[in-house]
Amino acid sequence: MIGRALSADFLKNRGKGIWLLAIIAPIGIIAMQAINFGLRYDYMMKIYVADPWGGLIENISFFVPIALFLGSTLVCSLMANVENQLSSWKQLLALPISRTAVFSAKFVMVLLVLSFSCVLLSAGTPVLGYALRMDMSNIPYGDMIRLGFAPLMGVIPVLALQLWLSLTLKNQGIAISFGVTVSVVSMFSPFFPDWVPITWPFLAYHGPGQSLVIAQGLVLGAIITLMGLIHFNRRDVN
Amino acid sequence: MASYFRALSSEWLKLNGPILWIQIMLSPALSLLQGLFLSSENTVEQMPWHGLVGVMSTSHAVLFLPILTGILSAMVCRYEHAGGGWKQLLVMPVSRGAVYIAKFTMVGIALACIQLLFLGAVLIAGWYHGIETPLPWDMMTTSLLGGWAACLPLAALQLAVSTAWSSFAAPLALNVIFTIPNLLVANSETYGPYYPWAQPILAMLPSGQAGYGAFLVPFETLLFVVLSGFLLFFISGLFYFQRKEI
Repeated sequence: MIGRALSADFLKNRGKGIWLLAIIAPIGIIAMQAINFGLRYDYMMKIYVADPWGGLIENISFFVPIALFLGSTLVCSLMANVENQLSSWKQLLALPISRTAVFSAKFVMVLLVLSFSCVLLSAGTPVLGYALRMDMSNIPYGDMIRLGFAPLMGVIPVLALQLWLSLTLKNQGIAISFGVTVSVVSMFSPFFPDWVPITWPFLAYHGPGQSLVIAQGLVLGAIITLMGLIHFNRRDVN
Repeated sequence: MASYFRALSSEWLKLNGPILWIQIMLSPALSLLQGLFLSSENTVEQMPWHGLVGVMSTSHAVLFLPILTGILSAMVCRYEHAGGGWKQLLVMPVSRGAVYIAKFTMVGIALACIQLLFLGAVLIAGWYHGIETPLPWDMMTTSLLGGWAACLPLAALQLAVSTAWSSFAAPLALNVIFTIPNLLVANSETYGPYYPWAQPILAMLPSGQAGYGAFLVPFETLLFVVLSGFLLFFISGLFYFQRKEI
């Protein structure tokens, strides 16, 4: 059931800019670092002479949490737009398909889009490293994969909340303003205690306690998704 | 002119409401928190107000203000995109130009409210820190008015894109993609002054505050970039809307 709802979502979201966003975001982050390193190549290479790969990955990693926060906000809203704009929630939910399947399919869809972005980011980083003439024999593959996926696990609670807001609020301005506020606040995450979920995408990569943070992200994400699902199942649709 | 004011009052009716005011208050409220709790060590001894505005601008104008400009521009078009509203609006005896300029005026007014609330936030934070130096009004005026003016080119571009694309979030995605590089571009002396999305923060930081990067650029350069950007985006947006097939 979820599979069929998912394939319907894939069709509905064709040409809506979601996949374009998923491609542009990692390319944009890498391009920013290409400019950052390219313009002051000698200076950056001198700072990170001991570990150029580590320096490159660290510079990229600062932008990943905020990109994921804003990305999940925008993808959720873009996806809800199909039903919100044409007021077709009634039509969709009148079909012989459970609301749980509709909601879960959309959740899986957002997760797939963001994962695709993270794969592109992990694949693009060594390409940039090659262009910057770094030593290709000791690429830190583990860090490169963690670079996108660890913060993604930490962002799941906020993603679940955004999906909930986007799917249930008719005025997307509220959902997006909320997401933007969260993203801006996340820039100050070093000032927050570690239990605040906004800090998790950062902690999930940099630590301390990476695996615990990832587990927290998954558990809280599951709880919020479940709450959203129950509300979506019970609410009146108009 | 009368038709413009009627269009403006109808835009006001459509937009006014608690949702608008919450959005207007978000950024000043956040920078107030930042001013209260994060700025105590950073506040400069001789020029405390300059230091305070410098610190509070970072959360306000680097990301929030450019993105909010996009959200507000999308909000003024939301009502028309849902359910064929453009057709209904444009069969009324108002010119398209008046409608477009009224929508733009609404965004400008909302941004001005944001800047006024930001002023309030600075005053409260200053009172909290017990700053006794008299308020340097010339610096405050330049910073607030400059930040407001620097948002107008972005508002013009976003309004053009929001009228063109029926999706609410798509124009915002475009805006966000260009706003995130601010985190790097604003530090660059060569490119910062010519990047439209970095103009709000460059205009809002009191000059001589952070002595590096694009923050040293003379006010005249920023004025030129902002003005030409505004004319380019606003005129092409208006031209497009006049000829758009609804």
